Amino acid sequence: MDYQQLAKRIVQRARRKGARQAEAFLEVGRQSSVRVHQGQIEDLTQSTSKGVGVRVVLKDRLGFAYTSDFEPSAVDHIVDQALKLAEFSAPSKLNGLPSGKDLGRFGDTGLLFDTKVAELPGDWKIKTALEVEKAARAEDSRIIAFNGVGAGDYVSEVYMASTEGVTGAYSGTYVYLYAAPVASDGTGLQTGYWMDYRRFLDDLDGPESIGREASRRAVRMLGAKRVKTQQVPVLFDPQVAASFVSDVAGAADGNAVYQKASLLAPLLGKRLAGAHVTLVDDGLMPRGLATAPFDGEGVPTRRTPIIEQGVLKSFLYDAFTARKAKARTTGNASRSYNGLPSIGTSNLYLEAGTKSPEELLREVDSGFYVTALLGHGTDPVTGELSAGANGLWIEKGELTHPVQEVTVAGNLLQMLKDLDGVGSDLQFRSGAVGAPTVRFRQLTVSGE
Amino acid sequence: MPRASAPSKRAPSLKLAPPVARRPTPVALLPQPLVERLLAVAMERGGDFAEVYVERTLTTAVRLEESRIKSAQTGLVQGVGVRVISGGKVGYAFSDDWDEAALLRAASTAAMIAQGGGAERSFPVRRAAVPSHYHVSPPLMDVEVSLKTGLLMRADKAARAFDARVKQVNGGYVDQTRRIAVANTHGRYTEDTQDLCRISVMVVAQGKGGERRTGMYGGGGRVPFSHWDTFSPEDVAREAARQAVATLGAVDCVAGPQTVVLAPGWSGILLHEAVGHGLEADFIRKGTSLFAGKLGEKVASDLVTIIDDGTVSSGRGSINIDDEGNPGERKVLIENGVLKGYLYDSLNAQLMGQRSTGSGRRESFKHLPMPRMTNTFLAPGDHAPEDILKEVKRGLYCATFGGGQVDITNGNFVFEVSEAYQIEDGKLGRPVKNATLIGVGPEALKNVSRVGCDPMPDPGMGVCGKNGQSMPVGVGLPTVRIDNITVGGTKVA
Repeated sequence: MDYQQLAKRIVQRARRKGARQAEAFLEVGRQSSVRVHQGQIEDLTQSTSKGVGVRVVLKDRLGFAYTSDFEPSAVDHIVDQALKLAEFSAPSKLNGLPSGKDLGRFGDTGLLFDTKVAELPGDWKIKTALEVEKAARAEDSRIIAFNGVGAGDYVSEVYMASTEGVTGAYSGTYVYLYAAPVASDGTGLQTGYWMDYRRFLDDLDGPESIGREASRRAVRMLGAKRVKTQQVPVLFDPQVAASFVSDVAGAADGNAVYQKASLLAPLLGKRLAGAHVTLVDDGLMPRGLATAPFDGEGVPTRRTPIIEQGVLKSFLYDAFTARKAKARTTGNASRSYNGLPSIGTSNLYLEAGTKSPEELLREVDSGFYVTALLGHGTDPVTGELSAGANGLWIEKGELTHPVQEVTVAGNLLQMLKDLDGVGSDLQFRSGAVGAPTVRFRQLTVSGE
Repeated sequence: MPRASAPSKRAPSLKLAPPVARRPTPVALLPQPLVERLLAVAMERGGDFAEVYVERTLTTAVRLEESRIKSAQTGLVQGVGVRVISGGKVGYAFSDDWDEAALLRAASTAAMIAQGGGAERSFPVRRAAVPSHYHVSPPLMDVEVSLKTGLLMRADKAARAFDARVKQVNGGYVDQTRRIAVANTHGRYTEDTQDLCRISVMVVAQGKGGERRTGMYGGGGRVPFSHWDTFSPEDVAREAARQAVATLGAVDCVAGPQTVVLAPGWSGILLHEAVGHGLEADFIRKGTSLFAGKLGEKVASDLVTIIDDGTVSSGRGSINIDDEGNPGERKVLIENGVLKGYLYDSLNAQLMGQRSTGSGRRESFKHLPMPRMTNTFLAPGDHAPEDILKEVKRGLYCATFGGGQVDITNGNFVFEVSEAYQIEDGKLGRPVKNATLIGVGPEALKNVSRVGCDPMPDPGMGVCGKNGQSMPVGVGLPTVRIDNITVGGTKVA
């Protein structure tokens, strides 16, 4: 089936049926994944999936419908459905698809598609996942079980068309490996998790290193205990730092800002952190998992510094919110076919600093190195963070005993001010958000 | 890691209804001969078991922002998943194309998990009766969209009228009519129609010096649209607004161990996180849950009896059949502090020599089933809720929760408190901000020292996430006191 043609046909039908503007967003995917358990396949999944969403504007009203059924009658039905639903939404002069100056030439994404991934033989995943499990077991005799070990790949295609002149398509590949071993010392259990997720097979860490690192992270938590309640310097490892970075970007969501539901709303142009803090959303990052020529409504993606050398530089926008806020879209409309676009990040990262993680540790007399957080993170309205934490205690610049059943608490604005160390170890481990090790001058650790 | 989210507190009481045979649905999702053909193809390489799962889900969603209906949308997602089990290994393939060739391709792909060959056998199926713990008529997909948008307009008005400090109201309404059919090589064919709806309201209130607080509330279930006549959008909105306004001026939470009292209802998420996930049979079979091998042992205080009940009338987590075609059940997990049972799907049950507890659930045809909770409750005790509060000299009263998360291996769970008050000499004091409870499942349950006589289900808001699959669930809890649990906060005493 010619999907680009199908997208165009949907737009034409909507137009014919009376839509002032119409847009089709179509996705097609093929995935396969395997999980292994005790040297055997646990399950093997293969599938193809697809869907299309139709957004229409009619008398300044917005309608939307989607389907995974591409039979002509089903596709015709959702166009009619979207037009009908438009009657139920409120009219607004601001409703409209991106057009004119919002659109334009797509930037250079570099390669998004790896034929090696697209053509991976089925048994590669089985063999590699088994190697991950084997390496994880070999790392330490205290590894007694696994919460999951697996591998998978995904090939996706996106097609778009709109009455405003959007026409485009791209396809990409993804491949991943992960392990979640469980360690026991006879009295308690601890788990570790390690993974790698890439577009290109050659960028992917080997099974040996994934398995070993996962086990190391489980074993080092054995014997974890609470510590006393106190305020101390706190380090976040790169994965935990990535969740903090996502929370900061969440507060820079243009719609939350417009509704004054973000604590960053009044702070554009103000200094939030030291000059060593730069937070960037980059839809064109080479080989990035979220790299794409256009966003969820056909607007060219770009690089947007959110915080530049400590100063709040920009919020993130889609076309509708930008129009409301009298700003320009930043190409951050994020979506899948079964939902309307909403503001989201693409490849998001905190720029690396100059100190190694070891140096950041060495400067701490007594503190907490956090390796996992439990909970939903920071509240974007108040900036409050109060989350469960697992990790390792720091004494005289060295990691000592493991810690669990404690929380860390602080406020996002204060945490940005207190962010006094950024490591040189920027990594994108489990997705499109990257961060290096970071250090906060002080957070409250709640325990005994 | 499993996590649950969404807020809530009060609710209409949910009643138990006796299961009755369900009238058959007129039109099959897929013709029976095709289903049987798919089973035969799935078994052609000598698998031990095969299953065909058919799903067709229609969703309607409406959103309100800035006192206007921002969008209305509908969608259809349908597909077929074929699962083949061979010697404990699972092959799974799905297709969202319904044409016969695509479905047969999915069946052959899943079949490849088995290595053998051999003659094609036939696997006739017979339709089995299923219980009826909910029946939504007319189906929610047939209710006029204007009635759905109307709910949100009413909510917006009520929230703004509640207090001048209410500055922002966001509302959402979503419903789905999900039809499933499950057929397997044991000859069992079942169908169910699972309607589900939910309204949610988020309010931001602004106080002195620009302080902002949020409130969130909502509810729903497997209920007909007339549910909103008694569980009104105005009540939902006023509760969200009340939370936001009540927490203005909140003081920093003191960090460290405290005595806490949990308000009834949505606090049941404590059981869901502290115990429920750790009792799911996949974690038990692999030995990765701290509850593995503890059957018959004391894992909680005498006051604690926990039940997972998929048969609650119209409950958000209720299921006439699970996503493997087995009837939903009521299971006692912990009785007077003693661990009594686990939650089994059919695969883990078979591998462990047990029977399924009707706990095999999946987000959609794109996913494999796994053991999940339905509605999880703490049975009521005999303490009067007022007395529970009165006895506490100093502590924290947790009125509303944002959500929670658990690490099932070390048992650490968190419980995010979105509305809390200091308790001083048995009375509620100032609101407290940014509090989180953290504990280790069994230890926290051993410290349960009072259980109220006021059982309360949550109003139908819960979404549980596990291994990337989201499921609707219910929880419930009477007023409970827990001694010596660590409270996370910013202030050091």
